[in-house]
Amino acid sequence: MSDETTFKPSAATSIGVELELQLLRARDYDLSRDAQDLIARLDKVKLSGAVKPEITESMIELNSSVHLDYESLCAELETMRDAVSKEAGLLNVRVSGGGAHPFHDWADRRIYPTARFRNLLERYGYLAKQFTVFGQHIHVGCGSGDEAIYLVHMLTRYVPHFIALSAASPFYQGEDTSFQSSRLTAINAFPLSGHMPFVPDWSEFAEYFEKMRGFGIVESMKDFYWDIRPKPEYGTIEIRVCDTPLTVARAAQLAAYAQALVAYHLEERPQNPARDTYLVDRFNRFEACRYGIAGELVEPYLRRKKRIGEDILDTIAEVMPQAHRFGSAGALSELSAGVRAGTSDADWLRQRRTERGSLTDVVHAASDRWQGK
Amino acid sequence: MGDLLGHVWPPQFSQAILFGVLLLAGLLAGEAVRRFLALPRIVGYALAGVALGPRVSGLLGVEVLQAARVFVDLSIGLIVFELGFRLDFDWLKRNRWLFATALAESLFSFVAIYAALRYFDFRPLIAAAAAAIGTATSPAVVMMVAREQRAEGQVTERMLLFTALNCMIGYLLLTLILPWVHLEHQTDWMEALWRPLYLLVGSALAGYLASFALLRLAAWIGKREDAQFVLLVAMIVLVVGTARALDLSVMVAVVVFGLLAHNLDARRALLPLRIGAAGQLFFVALFVLTGANLEFGGFGAVALAAMAFVVVRFLAKGLALIVFAPLSGLRPGGGGLVALALLPMSGLSVTMLQDTAALYAGFGAELASVVLPAIAILELLGPLATQYALQRANESHPETQDK
Repeated sequence: MSDETTFKPSAATSIGVELELQLLRARDYDLSRDAQDLIARLDKVKLSGAVKPEITESMIELNSSVHLDYESLCAELETMRDAVSKEAGLLNVRVSGGGAHPFHDWADRRIYPTARFRNLLERYGYLAKQFTVFGQHIHVGCGSGDEAIYLVHMLTRYVPHFIALSAASPFYQGEDTSFQSSRLTAINAFPLSGHMPFVPDWSEFAEYFEKMRGFGIVESMKDFYWDIRPKPEYGTIEIRVCDTPLTVARAAQLAAYAQALVAYHLEERPQNPARDTYLVDRFNRFEACRYGIAGELVEPYLRRKKRIGEDILDTIAEVMPQAHRFGSAGALSELSAGVRAGTSDADWLRQRRTERGSLTDVVHAASDRWQGK
Repeated sequence: MGDLLGHVWPPQFSQAILFGVLLLAGLLAGEAVRRFLALPRIVGYALAGVALGPRVSGLLGVEVLQAARVFVDLSIGLIVFELGFRLDFDWLKRNRWLFATALAESLFSFVAIYAALRYFDFRPLIAAAAAAIGTATSPAVVMMVAREQRAEGQVTERMLLFTALNCMIGYLLLTLILPWVHLEHQTDWMEALWRPLYLLVGSALAGYLASFALLRLAAWIGKREDAQFVLLVAMIVLVVGTARALDLSVMVAVVVFGLLAHNLDARRALLPLRIGAAGQLFFVALFVLTGANLEFGGFGAVALAAMAFVVVRFLAKGLALIVFAPLSGLRPGGGGLVALALLPMSGLSVTMLQDTAALYAGFGAELASVVLPAIAILELLGPLATQYALQRANESHPETQDK
């Protein structure tokens, strides 16, 4: 096995998140291009996590360190958020969550000057610049490669939950898309997006990967833009469908939900992986992007339709015992409360638009909210 | 052949034709220097102005230039408004080194130019007034080059911020000097103090009232980009006209107007300012007219002093920025580039000069003899410096750079 296919086990159910953030000009709340200057400043600040560049100069990515429980993750994210906001303030740059910038012109974006990002521009053309969308990735630790494969299959059923709970990109290119999350549409365009093939265990997955590499289609695991993918070098599975929420608290709650789900499936093993999950996956994913918690998903095991919101409430109730152990029962209850109230970050953004009348004001309000003002 | 088919011969060129020629010549010269020499278009506009102006072809005579003064005022009004609009009090509050940098940059320039002109035996008052004018960077040039380059980033933002601040500081210094100029002409102390006070306070008040009205009207109109743009232009024209009518400073009134329109807009009634393609029309005309007004006569007599003016001004700005810019969080090497970008001097300095000359004719002429050659040098070199700095800072849009 090569390096790419060696799964380095990690503490099972440990969590970490990556948050892609928008950098904004204080003057007009359009995207700025100050990632390089901001990262250079943050390099001098002692932080427990990391701040990294992303594909265009209007984005940065916060990486938390590895956590065993929700509270410490949330605290770390808040500290990092404050440090980033402070340094950005000196450059007159504002920071915001949200899955997409509501009105930026993708053609104005400039690729972050590293070899990898330049290659992406070369390869994908305008898709690379349109890829200026902002997601949250949640890592959950796995004890083995086989466990990771099992978990990817099991969690695929919950992809609509993560989309609906995080949805925060109703506006795109200056228009209301009518979607709760328009961001995933930008990712669908990539040839290696979609989901992992239905393989039974790690050795078959490694075989698949080597075959794809042999074809010259991929070079590393990074080339797969799957909704959930194994990340062998970290020993995790990575859920990649979430929009970056409007607050760090929400981001930490989503990670806590993933953690509880993983623990539940590892302990209870309520079902076996089923190929049918992938038959309904595209449909479910669309419903979640379009309607959020009000959408319907097809439950692949019971073969019936169910409201996404209702399914989330049932699932959270199911995994509460695990959440109690990780100290995240409160966090999950907050997610439930939001579902019961029928609210989402996307709705919050739409309300700001109705109240204030312009998308500039929407971005301003979102950035105030992210920076904790 | 005085009367051919009822027409007058030779035909009388109306101002409309001249204006069309002015725009067309500016546009074409701008495109030409861009394509063939990779220079900023502004340089082409100004050269077209020089060629059309009274010094060369005389097509744009002195009367036309006088008549076009309104247009120049309006163009400068738009630019200065945007400059004020961009000046963000919050940023200055968050990052206090910014103001310190701006202050140092302005004062170093003032002192250096004053010393250099004294060395060349200019009278203290002339040296001081020239130094005050030299403190300011041309907002029109830096904004035009930034637009043309589609520049974005910290060097660009700071260039614009420091330009706004050094214009205000320069104007303030000039106003503080005016009482002494006044005393040279008359001995009435009250009058000497009253004039500058009236100029500053009156202009600021006009700007404040305009911003107050603008915010109210914008809130009533609602967030429609086209309507707000018309409102804005109307208000700028009004402020410029009022300032002219009351002998106030157009520049101070408009910059205060822009500044307060942005910083007092707590309920965010205004949409972000976007001067689109129509704005370009004003800018082309402005730079052609500035070029036509450039003064090369009598250059030989003060050539050395003018060169010294330009050089020490750059060194002073450079020193201040290299020392202070890193403290305000600019990346290493950025300070020098900002200093280079701040080099241009032009239309606004002419306005400052004319404002002074309007008050004290003799003094104005003496002052013009040293300031105008420096302006002529920097009108042509300044845009190059700014363009080079923005490209070196990697802030110009890649598509605007010629391969």
